[in-house]
Amino acid sequence: MSTSTISRRNFLRATGITGAALCLGFSFSADGKANVIVATDADQSAIEMNAWIKIDASGKVTLVDHRAEMGQGSYQSVPQIIAEELEVDLKDVNVIFAQGDPKKYGGQITGGSSTVRDSYKRLLKLSATAREVLIAAAAAKWKVSATDCYAQSGTVIHKPSGKKFHYGELVADASKLDAPKNIVLKKRSDYKLIGKPLHRKDTPMKTNGEAIFGLDKKLPGMLYAVVERNPRFRGKVKSFDAAATKKIPGVKHVFVVKMEVFNTIREGVAVVATSTWAAMQGRKALKVIWDDTGFEHVNIADIYTRQHEELKKEGLFFKKQGDPDGILTKAEKMLDVVYQTPYQAHSAMEPLNCIAHYQKDKIEIWGPIQAPDWVQGDISQKFKMPIDKVRVNMTFLGGGFGRKAFLDYPYEATMISKQIDGPVQVIWTREDDTTQGPYRAGISYRAQGAIANGQIMAVKFRMAGQNIDHWSDPKRGVANSSTTEGFLAPYFESIKNISFADVPFEMPIPNMWWRSVYASTNGFAYESFIDELAHEAGKDPLDFRRAYLKDERCQKLIDKLEEVSGWKSRKKNEGYGVAITECFSSTVGQIVKVSQKAGGGIIIDKVWAVMDCGWYVNPDIIHAQIEGSIIMALGAATTHEITFKDGLVEQRNFYDYKMPRITDIPPIEVHIIDNDADAGGVGEPGLPAFSPALTAAIFDLTGKRIRKLPFDMANI
Amino acid sequence: MTSITVNGKQHQIDADPNMPLLWVIRDIIGLTGTKYGCGVAQCGACVVHLNGDAVRSCVTKLSRAAGQQVITIEGLSANNDHPAQQAWNEENVPQCGYCHSGQIMSAAVLLRENPNPSDADIDSAMAGNICRCGTYLRIRKAIHLAAELQRKEGASK
Amino acid sequence: MKNQIKFPVKALAAIGVLLTMVGIMAFALHNDNAPVSKQLVVKKDSIASVKAFKQVYTVLMSARCMNCHPSGDIPLQGEDSHLHTMLPKRGVDGKGVYAMKCSNCHQPANTPGLHTPPGNPNWHLPPADMKMIFQGRTPHQLAKQLVDPNQNGHKDLKKLIEHADDGLVLAGWNPGEGRKLPPISHAAFKKAWITWLTTGAYAPNGK
Repeated sequence: MSTSTISRRNFLRATGITGAALCLGFSFSADGKANVIVATDADQSAIEMNAWIKIDASGKVTLVDHRAEMGQGSYQSVPQIIAEELEVDLKDVNVIFAQGDPKKYGGQITGGSSTVRDSYKRLLKLSATAREVLIAAAAAKWKVSATDCYAQSGTVIHKPSGKKFHYGELVADASKLDAPKNIVLKKRSDYKLIGKPLHRKDTPMKTNGEAIFGLDKKLPGMLYAVVERNPRFRGKVKSFDAAATKKIPGVKHVFVVKMEVFNTIREGVAVVATSTWAAMQGRKALKVIWDDTGFEHVNIADIYTRQHEELKKEGLFFKKQGDPDGILTKAEKMLDVVYQTPYQAHSAMEPLNCIAHYQKDKIEIWGPIQAPDWVQGDISQKFKMPIDKVRVNMTFLGGGFGRKAFLDYPYEATMISKQIDGPVQVIWTREDDTTQGPYRAGISYRAQGAIANGQIMAVKFRMAGQNIDHWSDPKRGVANSSTTEGFLAPYFESIKNISFADVPFEMPIPNMWWRSVYASTNGFAYESFIDELAHEAGKDPLDFRRAYLKDERCQKLIDKLEEVSGWKSRKKNEGYGVAITECFSSTVGQIVKVSQKAGGGIIIDKVWAVMDCGWYVNPDIIHAQIEGSIIMALGAATTHEITFKDGLVEQRNFYDYKMPRITDIPPIEVHIIDNDADAGGVGEPGLPAFSPALTAAIFDLTGKRIRKLPFDMANI
Repeated sequence: MTSITVNGKQHQIDADPNMPLLWVIRDIIGLTGTKYGCGVAQCGACVVHLNGDAVRSCVTKLSRAAGQQVITIEGLSANNDHPAQQAWNEENVPQCGYCHSGQIMSAAVLLRENPNPSDADIDSAMAGNICRCGTYLRIRKAIHLAAELQRKEGASK
Repeated sequence: MKNQIKFPVKALAAIGVLLTMVGIMAFALHNDNAPVSKQLVVKKDSIASVKAFKQVYTVLMSARCMNCHPSGDIPLQGEDSHLHTMLPKRGVDGKGVYAMKCSNCHQPANTPGLHTPPGNPNWHLPPADMKMIFQGRTPHQLAKQLVDPNQNGHKDLKKLIEHADDGLVLAGWNPGEGRKLPPISHAAFKKAWITWLTTGAYAPNGK
């Protein structure tokens, strides 16, 4: 097999014609061709055993992370899964990021806490398959039975003789063999790596400045651009005066750039220069006159007033069982309350940025990108470039939280590159990042319910807020599952009369998923209301959940919460609150303990979180993700929100969009439930339960019910 | 031309003396471990040591660093083995990692000036550094560990 | 005369002041620094003094002055004088602690732009052993505190007068983009300050 001259694409095509030598049979591999190919980019000498595993002749193993690494740990979790069944030592493997290539990797969008739960079964299987092929190759070389051989630490060992080959000595032969059919995966109890709190492989490079984030990537001859975008989301440029800008040393180009993404079109003026600073200075000197006609200039108070008005309508029912309306109408007493949640910016520490290099026959992109496959498809379509001529490279992401799955910034960078005919890095300032959206939508909820004899008789929930799933026809007028996100399925077994609806609500504000998506706001409304119903029923809120969440996993989780938190042995002057939410196939329960702060206000003394995510890879990453999710939820509940005035965002930077700091953080104790259920998400499910547990704890302590986020802990 | 010394190496910088040190370090010298986070001294992602002090390089002009000693995260230790770096690795502190150059540079000043910091001392030193991933509890733990490592190192010397 | 502030004997002696028994302070300065000595002649006038102090007080209690004279050990910020974001601490010398020293953010000059750190080469709070708190002080309390060398940084009358032109005091009138100036001009402040001091440094009535 010639390995040096053939390109990856050609080879793929060639293997497609001639038939694969080594077929690992990825179910997602649409063309069925991604088999034994030669890597021409990452490592000239390595043979790619499958899309995730490359081994060179010296035995050096390179594993591919096909998803974005934005803090949630894919750079560790994916290799930790592969290394288990491949039988290699993690310390010896090199990890690289995949380029956008959905044919090869399946969906790469890093969202919905899906990296492990979507991939682990096939990663285990293809890794075990690769191992078995290597064992078969060794057995053939030694002319022994494969059953007498086993793999360990990147070598195949012949048990009777103790003879050894390292994988590098076998990979060429292995690539010519048929893959065995019946692969037996390890038992969970036999795992050496999976389930262990191993150190992340990306930590060392994040403590000495070596990790390359989007903003750190440089290309030869690359220029730097900043864009003065219309501060109203759908505005255009009427005219601009760049005379002063062009006098700034280093400024090379000034022109109008249009950003067209999903349902948002916005114009700005790009300033391209030889350094970031020169571009920023040039932008400051720019005078732009905006065209702000043709769309509403919104004010935050009007948004919520309108939402509350909309909540009088029935909306689109997504789920309805029993007869909640009939029972509520007849009920002696009906609870009928409104919850309100704020717009939120993602505010990743790494502001948005992207490098694009548009050339006549190809486009290359580098950046902190959550969905390289989406970007590839979008750029291909918008610039009419064949998809295989669009290469999208992921760097480390300095946080993402959903924002970096939006397609606007790579598109804008490509537009600018095309205009200047060269590579360019577009940098969003913190102010751009805060003021330009897209945001998590602020959503209002109406909850109605009736209690009789300490039991829930009926519950009716509806929401009004911008809903991404109503963006375009035909989804505009159709109910969708966002309305029940966060709400635990077992409630549907025990609450016989219940309905969920959403009232479609449009605003000219761009929206995007924000960590834990709808569960982040639904969770607050729904679990707060369960707490109100428990209070109305005169029941202990934890016991109330125990009575309504009959499912075995929920029962165990509730027992664990009670056990670790000392819920039943609480003292006077201590407020305890609980909430339990579902998010991306994992269930998290949290108990928050609060007390009065000397000098006024409320202090959080402790947070306990119990996570049931089924099968898992790395418990330390789970702990870290839950700690981080709770702190992100703390900020969204108590310190920051995005508001609008006359169509402009009122917050600009961390001085008015205030993040929790080290001085604001309560102790957090995380527990993981062990079971053999399928893997659930990890990166987001820790978020939704926090704010309802916090406000329930404040109610427990003070009798004050908080139904509107954010609120000031210093003034309760 | 402005002369500055970064990580022991002297550089002659031909740039606007008003250019923030952050962009000099990143775009001109090419050391990208120091991060841009806010541009207005709110987040601490850009912390470098200027004559040993944890300055925010996004608001520190090149002119202030003229003739002075600058240390960036790349120059904090030769082998990623400053006690803070060791502790950060041991405690699995970073998630996305973007803010941690600044966090570690801040922690290094604390550890130099206070070999046995209390939780309150850590708060006093570290409240200028934002971490959106919420690694604060681990930062606190890692600083306590780093202090211990530092004392052990001191004792063994 | 109960509201008149008396410079403690020690301090007065140090600058060679004679104090009359009826409470009229006549400063006869035996001081070689002649240029300001003229201003140091105190001519008691309680009405003019209190009137001048009222103007002084509006300045000292404005955000530009009070924000660095907090009652706690954390400086204040903004026109509403909220606690400084990120809670920097005073430190022993008033220049911050560890990675949170004032000059780590506050440069020798104002940083351009809105919401950026204002600057001064000598940016600091009063030191821990001499906090010179303005926040929460009544006019009466503040007036008495300002002329008490044990609370004013061991400043005698001459040094107090000179303090009107101190770099950090002047910085109050160069606060950086977007910040409000003190309620009166520096010249008007200086005039009121000197008038107050040289008419007997009377404290307004009250607690």
